[in-house]
Amino acid sequence: MATATRPAPAATTTPPRSVVTRAAAAVAGLAVAVVLVVAPLVSSPYINFQLASIMVFAVALLGLNVIMGYTGQVSLGQSAFLGLGAYITAYGVLNDWPIALSLLLSAVVPAAVGMLVALAAARLRGLALAMITLALPIIGVPLARRFDGFTGGSQGQVVSWLRAPESLGLANDQWRYYVVAVIALVAFLLVRNLVRGRIGRSFAIVKENEAVALSMGVSPYRTKVLAFTIASALGGLSGFMYLAVVQYTSPETLVFATSINLVAAMVIGGSASIVGTALGALYYVLVPVLAGQVNSSRTALISGAVLLAVLFVLPAGLVSLPRRLARRRSARRGTRTAPHDTADDAATPTSTDGSAPAVPAPAATTTDQHP
Amino acid sequence: MTSTPHTVRAGALVATASIAVLLVSGCTRAESSGGLGGDGSSPGITDDSISIGISSPLSGPTAGPGSCTVAGLAAYIEAQNADGGFEFGDGNTRQVEFTYLDDVYDPARAVSNFRQLTDQGIFAYVGALGTPTNAAVMPIAEEEEVPQVLLTTGARTFSEDQEAHPWTTGFVPTYATEGRAFGELLVAADRPITVATLAQNDDFGQSYLDGFTEATEGSQVEVVASATYEPTDTTLDSQVTELAASNADVLLSAVSVTPLQVGVLTKAQSLGWLPSIFLPSNTSTPGTILQPGGAEAYPAVFTPSFSKNPNSPAFAEDEDVQAYNAAFEEYGSQIATTYTPHCTWSYAEGAVLAEAFAGMEEPTRESFMTALRSISDFQAPMLLDGITVDTTSDDEAAISTVELVRYDAGTGGFAPVDGF
Repeated sequence: MATATRPAPAATTTPPRSVVTRAAAAVAGLAVAVVLVVAPLVSSPYINFQLASIMVFAVALLGLNVIMGYTGQVSLGQSAFLGLGAYITAYGVLNDWPIALSLLLSAVVPAAVGMLVALAAARLRGLALAMITLALPIIGVPLARRFDGFTGGSQGQVVSWLRAPESLGLANDQWRYYVVAVIALVAFLLVRNLVRGRIGRSFAIVKENEAVALSMGVSPYRTKVLAFTIASALGGLSGFMYLAVVQYTSPETLVFATSINLVAAMVIGGSASIVGTALGALYYVLVPVLAGQVNSSRTALISGAVLLAVLFVLPAGLVSLPRRLARRRSARRGTRTAPHDTADDAATPTSTDGSAPAVPAPAATTTDQHP
Repeated sequence: MTSTPHTVRAGALVATASIAVLLVSGCTRAESSGGLGGDGSSPGITDDSISIGISSPLSGPTAGPGSCTVAGLAAYIEAQNADGGFEFGDGNTRQVEFTYLDDVYDPARAVSNFRQLTDQGIFAYVGALGTPTNAAVMPIAEEEEVPQVLLTTGARTFSEDQEAHPWTTGFVPTYATEGRAFGELLVAADRPITVATLAQNDDFGQSYLDGFTEATEGSQVEVVASATYEPTDTTLDSQVTELAASNADVLLSAVSVTPLQVGVLTKAQSLGWLPSIFLPSNTSTPGTILQPGGAEAYPAVFTPSFSKNPNSPAFAEDEDVQAYNAAFEEYGSQIATTYTPHCTWSYAEGAVLAEAFAGMEEPTRESFMTALRSISDFQAPMLLDGITVDTTSDDEAAISTVELVRYDAGTGGFAPVDGF
């Protein structure tokens, strides 16, 4: 592929700060790691459930971010893959499959389904993919109700599994937390490496301008199919984790509303950002809980107000909060150096690599011409 | 690849947020609930208070009935609290602390809410609405030995095997009970009757039909046409047209979605098909279904009922209804703004809870479950005369009989039925 000839990414161009930066990164990473390892040992089962739920939805959001954030295609069907993964895992547990096999199939089968859908849908442009993915949860719910031999019908399936091994001395909620945490960690590392490498650059160029991508030898079609397949696999994987944490699955797991809420959470966390994905998951799980603490009869209203507030104040998502604060601080000190701050905020959330500036302005006029 | 300053700060943000979550929770492992308290009593109960919790859909498509399951219960409890409190079998009088949360009919959120409530130390989880949400909670309630009782769901799972699920009980009649009542009414007429059935294509619709079939087996009642639908369907016109071709005497319309049920009623009469109609209890509210659907056109519209409609003039003089209306106005009307029968059901449920408290000899969950399972022949407020609460059967919900009523378009309410 032609992407191999592209210049090296920009991160290496800031040598004076890199040592400090690395140290800060290490400290922050270590702090997060320590908190995540120690937390379940000292927290109540309720807190462990919440933390594990955050990880479940973080992986679902990660998949969504691959297709929407990084590749720029709208997907409204992530809940269908989450539900499919959960049902496959439930079926595996109830039929005594090895857990590793359930784990594998919970990612592979949704990936295959996602690829089939994308092979057809990615040929279409713009909102067509959104419309087709929209159909997935809408078809999925009645299917899940109807195939009750496989799914347990509308009453769903209770699956009691993943008990802590006696030898570890952990409670069930702690053991499930660690299982889910390891899966989430692996998923995040894989996706982080993926989006920073050659494939990530092809995602970015397809998102930016398909004509330019083609001229560079990157097939937008194949890139979109790949991104959608990865997103589906991660959705299915989060279904496995969902079943590990909730121990139950039903048609309600894959309802359309979940997809929409996931999209909102992704935008709120920060699109095309790994850290933003984690923040989006925090938002997804915690805001309804906090809204319930304020007034249980008004949770929808409060969640909606928070959503609007975040989008007004931080259009690039929660992940842009530190940058935002830093900019405000420097502006107050009078050492303002960035004259174009608002435009920069909204337009380039993909700050992790240097692909965005590569798009030449005249190319924009040719976007709609099929080569 | 190194991190930019931007991602580092964001990383720090995640770290801060995670730590904040832990601090906000303020809970340590040692405090977790379950097991006995210091003096042998269960969590959530002291000498002068007891705390109970509920999680129901308070937003989203099921918010109407969900809010009512909270509002009615809140009305009963707060009125009784204001009146001095609840008498317990151990001689103490306690105030009930009532906590409610919203689960949007999402099982994952229901589990989260249940864990939150037990973490806060509730004594029992009472009256929650929803089949999938309660099914998800049931195994955890069992494992933690927390009572999950008097649930507002007609699914059989929660009532049919109480030995296997000792901590769970249902409150309202199962869907099969409702279907059976229709069948019995038709069989009692003792003449050939043709029936068309329309049912939701899941276990709600199936258990309705099962109850109906059980009751009509070997009788002169014959099902001549049947159709199913999906809850996601936007119209049932084609199903109704197909059923209308049978020209059956009776249409059993086990449709649980409000707009679809209205559509069935308007479509059948527009085709000139005017059978007697049987409607489930959860889709037969006059104001939202029967009047918009033009139900007065049909020779008769039957529905199972077990509670009094507080808005009906027929009960305006009833003492229970007056007490309910006063309590609901003061404590429930902020929670539920529109009336569904679930408001009265959950009010009656409060009385059943009080009855169980009165039989509770020790401040433990075991004693509570024993007391709750030994109520029989109890006439709860707001239930129709002749409907009593009986929790002693181990394969039925607390209310296992229904009475059929007939829509009276003149008054906009329901009248008793003598026969078909």
